[in-house]
Amino acid sequence: MEKNLENKFLSDFESNQNIVHKICRIYTTNKDAHNDLFQEITIQVWKNYPKFRGDSKFSTWMYRVALNTAISLYRKSTKKIKTQDFSDVAFKIKATAYDDTEEIQLKALYKAIHRLSDIDKALIFLYLEDKPYKEISETLGISNVNARVKMNRAKEKLKNILNP
Amino acid sequence: MKSLENYKKAWDNQPDTEDKLSAVDIYKLAQSRSQSIVKWIFIIGILEFVGLNALSSFVDIDAAYAEYKKMGLENFIFYSQIVAYGILFYFLAMFYLNYKRISTTDSTRTLMKKIIKTRKTVRNYVLFNLSYMALIMIVVAIASINTNFNDLTNKQIILIIFATLVATLLILGVLWLFYQLLYGFLLKKLSKNYKEIAKLNDPN
Repeated sequence: MEKNLENKFLSDFESNQNIVHKICRIYTTNKDAHNDLFQEITIQVWKNYPKFRGDSKFSTWMYRVALNTAISLYRKSTKKIKTQDFSDVAFKIKATAYDDTEEIQLKALYKAIHRLSDIDKALIFLYLEDKPYKEISETLGISNVNARVKMNRAKEKLKNILNP
Repeated sequence: MKSLENYKKAWDNQPDTEDKLSAVDIYKLAQSRSQSIVKWIFIIGILEFVGLNALSSFVDIDAAYAEYKKMGLENFIFYSQIVAYGILFYFLAMFYLNYKRISTTDSTRTLMKKIIKTRKTVRNYVLFNLSYMALIMIVVAIASINTNFNDLTNKQIILIIFATLVATLLILGVLWLFYQLLYGFLLKKLSKNYKEIAKLNDPN
């Protein structure tokens, strides 16, 4: 039974790990912190996996656990490690021949999101992932109306950072 | 919001991570040790309960009791200690129950609320314990003035009161500083985020 659960967790997590990577990229700015947060999220998802009943999609459930870990359980390391932003590195390796507009936009987007508060980050992330307001308000524990108000403010902030 | 739409498109089209982990890597990560603040709150909370109670083991209890007896305080000390232990177990039970209720599958707001509540249980216990210590110090000071009233000059009485006050304030001050540091270290980010989310439900 235990082995079954473990295998199911591993395959669920493996196929949805991109979500976790994106959350880590939003909440951290260097590779070490990214890996730290990724590890903590993996632990939390596994620890809580027996509570996952399967009445919602695994990914929906995982959004909540992962965001909770990033916002509430993971204590940002206070020392600021001066490493080059790794999205920069990946960006430089790419060949220059193809259209990289979207890549530049994506990089700018992540950079702008880094300047938002932890809660705004969660809101913007859920918006970018096309989550309905019902799910957003349930994940964060705020009313639907407040989620909308807060979302509009967060989007406005993001827009101002992107187009000063 | 038009300009955001372009960025949203870039987001939707972002490629999968190049650091994809295999099931074996994920398994290893899942088995590793959690560094979450909830775990630290639990460990530090237990240390505080143990630490505060270990303080009394530095005192020579027999000698202290003899001293209390001389002042006619043995009953007060005995019963107040029974009450204090009762309260200690109440706080310990509350701490454990609150800790157990913390669940990462709750909504963000509920989760943060529960973490803060757990932490507050320990803080309240420490406050209780400090008040209890302060009370004992004051009672002992008054009793010792009472017993030795005829042998003491006014100057000495004032000195005893002054020394008791200074000692009480000093202990409280040091512990307060320690607490500020501990709270700052553990909960700064969490409290900030909780305030931000709680503010939303505030009509203003």
